[in-house]
Amino acid sequence: MKPATVLAAVLLAASFAMPTAAQMPAWPTKPLRLVVPFPPAGATDILGRTLAQKLSEALGQPVVVENKPGAGGAIGSDMVAKAAPDGYTLLIATTSTHSIGPSLNPKLAYNAEKDFVPVVWVANSTNILVAAPNLPVTNTAELVAYAKANPGKINYGSSGNGTIVHLTAELFGSMAGIRMTHVPYKGTALVMPDLMSGQVSILFDNIVSAMPSVKGGKVKALGISGAKRSPLVPDLPTIAESGVPGFVSDTYFGVFVPAGTPPDIVLRLNRDINRILESTEFRDKLAVLGAEPVGGTPEKFAAEIRTETAKWSKVIKDAGVKLE
Amino acid sequence: MELLANLGTGFSVALTLPNLLYCFSGVLLGTLIGVLPGIGPVPTIAMLLPITYALPPVSALIMLAGIYYGAQYGGSTTAILVNLPGEASSVVTCLDGYQMARQGRAGTALAVAAIGSFIAGTFATLLVAAFAPPLAEVALKFGPAEYFSLMVLGLIAAVVLASGSLVKAIGMIVLGLLLGIIGTDVNSGLQRYSFGIPELSDGIGFVVVAMGLFGFAEIIINLENTEKREVFTNKVSGIWIKWKDLKEALPAMLRGTGIGSVLGILPGGGALLGAFASYTVEKKIAKDPSRFGKGAIQGVAGPEAANNAGAQTSFIPLLTLGIPPNAVMALMVGAMTIHSIQPGPQVMTNNPQLFWGLIVSMWIGNVMLVVLNLPLIGIWVKLLQVPYRLLYPAILLFCCIGVYSLQNNVFDVLMTAGFGLLGWIFVKLECEPAPLLLGFILGPMMEENLRRALLLSRGDFTVFATRPISAVMLGIAIIMLIVIVAPSIRKKREEAFHE
Amino acid sequence: MAFVRSPKDFWAGVLFIVFGLLAILIAREYPLGTAARMGPGYFPRGLGILMIALGSILTLRALRISGTKIHFGSPKPLLIVLGSVIMFALAAPKLGLVVATVLLILASSTADKEYRWKESVIASVILAMFTIAAFSWGLKLQLPIWPAFLG
Repeated sequence: MKPATVLAAVLLAASFAMPTAAQMPAWPTKPLRLVVPFPPAGATDILGRTLAQKLSEALGQPVVVENKPGAGGAIGSDMVAKAAPDGYTLLIATTSTHSIGPSLNPKLAYNAEKDFVPVVWVANSTNILVAAPNLPVTNTAELVAYAKANPGKINYGSSGNGTIVHLTAELFGSMAGIRMTHVPYKGTALVMPDLMSGQVSILFDNIVSAMPSVKGGKVKALGISGAKRSPLVPDLPTIAESGVPGFVSDTYFGVFVPAGTPPDIVLRLNRDINRILESTEFRDKLAVLGAEPVGGTPEKFAAEIRTETAKWSKVIKDAGVKLE
Repeated sequence: MELLANLGTGFSVALTLPNLLYCFSGVLLGTLIGVLPGIGPVPTIAMLLPITYALPPVSALIMLAGIYYGAQYGGSTTAILVNLPGEASSVVTCLDGYQMARQGRAGTALAVAAIGSFIAGTFATLLVAAFAPPLAEVALKFGPAEYFSLMVLGLIAAVVLASGSLVKAIGMIVLGLLLGIIGTDVNSGLQRYSFGIPELSDGIGFVVVAMGLFGFAEIIINLENTEKREVFTNKVSGIWIKWKDLKEALPAMLRGTGIGSVLGILPGGGALLGAFASYTVEKKIAKDPSRFGKGAIQGVAGPEAANNAGAQTSFIPLLTLGIPPNAVMALMVGAMTIHSIQPGPQVMTNNPQLFWGLIVSMWIGNVMLVVLNLPLIGIWVKLLQVPYRLLYPAILLFCCIGVYSLQNNVFDVLMTAGFGLLGWIFVKLECEPAPLLLGFILGPMMEENLRRALLLSRGDFTVFATRPISAVMLGIAIIMLIVIVAPSIRKKREEAFHE
Repeated sequence: MAFVRSPKDFWAGVLFIVFGLLAILIAREYPLGTAARMGPGYFPRGLGILMIALGSILTLRALRISGTKIHFGSPKPLLIVLGSVIMFALAAPKLGLVVATVLLILASSTADKEYRWKESVIASVILAMFTIAAFSWGLKLQLPIWPAFLG
């Protein structure tokens, strides 16, 4: 056979073997990374790692957790915002990064709405209102009454200016009609000693972190900040039930991907994570963190993000909270 | 004797073969990690967290705790051998420990550190076992006003750290205070001195500053002075410690143990104050203070004992109140949470095996540390004899990786280089970096607590004098100030007189 | 400068003054507040003033009391050491640990007078292997091992 014929035959055969443009290689074909924009061992990190492990099983490819802490979650979120939208970079983030951050910091490097596609609302966690043991109140209504009778006496601790702990307390104050002094700390754990000794009056803390001190009698539990009671303390009423009707403050945890990621990948992730959320093992892990699984469609998550963003931006404006 | 019964429970948990192995691997890993500059217990524990999730809770905690104080000790090794403090508290060990190494007494310095740490660890463990709850109550008495006064006391004591010019030392402290302010202001959320760079919004890491000022600068200076360097790599006098040295060091070790145990209980940075405080005390009560900074053995023995004692007693706020006093403890809380254990007042009653098993294994870990490290001293000393031209690039490499591993950010490595330059300038101008580091650590805490105390007292300044503990500390601080400044003024007057 | 008796103290003083000025300058927008309710600018400004004061004392003293001269050696170690560290920091995420390590060792070794290139190459290979084994595999360090374009 002539060399040219051989060459033509080979090329012809090869063109049949090559995948056509419409036929993409099945995703995923290499490991994924899940960026956690907070330091290790925090709630978001533990949640992220558990999710990553289960997701690896579902997808058949390892999902590696990468911690990229700093600036309240902004550094890690920004990194994902600028990452390639090929479905291999995921972000697990919270109300702080996507609903509060944008309203608080006009100079934020990423645009929470435009740079990301919400995938799924993974979980919801709520806070508990705890009070100093020497404060003569046993529930939310009494607290409000005491605050009104003694203006200027109540102060509240927080994990920093602009954090959800701070804004929750501001919302509480404005809805209850009381003025309180804000005392910021570098983390709710650091508020505890001063709360126990009575120098700080109240604190909105993560349920799981606060429970030991409540059970040990070092601080008093007044109410749950969420819409529903927490299964960890079923006897404790919500703040809405016990003194400030309509008060709700929750934190959402969800997965995001960079904007531009193909919709079928987003749907696939959403489907797999929803399935993980139904497993008892995962639900147990969430319960340990004081969080409840949510799930649902990407649109449901997007709607929640919008609602929360609007709510907190109003609180921020009304309370005059500024970072600069 | 309830204590003995409890200790018995603890031993039965800690002495099982698996737990002994976990303890050993934790301590070994911790030592190695501590020796590698930059990578400290925080990034290590963070990197190993996934593994500990798979272990039973007591074992996981035993291993994590082992890593924690293993790293404390390893940090001292690098401080002595190559002037690189891996941990905040190892900075003080650099001052005299490294000088001892340069005089060929590295073995003695390392041995003193090991033995001092062991004595301190034993005593502190007993303290934790017997007095955890009441000590925790003492810690609760410390509010912002007390912390502020403590920091003021600490800063004035920092002046004692320097051996040279008083004005320069104060200047370095103030500069450290300013550097510490970089980042987000807790009380207002405002970003200060961060130029809009997100990586600076949480401030500069201690390791970054220390690595640059102490480590990099030292390497550069060594490379410039090729003649002086040969002296200490060739002359190594013995790897064991002489009885005479031990006798000299022992009182310092005991004093350091006391100081460190007390300061370690305070959540919010009490542990590292211990090493600084011990150094100050030793220098002040020494018959010949000029020895300090040139290889005084008490300058290693005291602070080393103090920081190990502090490391042990810093478990108290964690185990009794559920309050993690530092980043490492916060990681351990995370590890406990994963296993559905809530640290706090009921851990002792609900989970006695965990509590006492952990405490006993802390002591066993100390034993293992001594057994592990004393023979290792020989290896370390041999390492010092590797020709410097091969050693320093490796040190640079480990520093870079170590700094990176803190936040997985190369920006930190670039900043360390910047501090290397600054450190070089300081050496040229004869400005000492140790007071700067102390100011760097204490400054932001001092300001935070000052403003918080005033916030809580609604602007009332007298709160610092009316609260008893605070008043006492401020009183001591004023006395120290007079004691420090008075001889200087007298000297200046004499100098002026002679001119 | 003939009238400067102690160059080290003089330049240290200048350094302090410069830092103090910078501190005050950058912080000039920060709200001051009052002594009882300090704003974020209160402390920095006070410290800046203190630095300028201390720096002034040093420089003035340096004009009267003599001290030793500043000793400057070759600029090579400073530039090479810092340069190689910066290079490592920039190279590691894009080119991977192996390449960055080798570059760091090779580059920084040249700063020493007793540099021997064969030793450097061997050291860089050994250290690169150790780094991958201990940090990437052992401690799961989050840095790519190989350059990005090799996938």
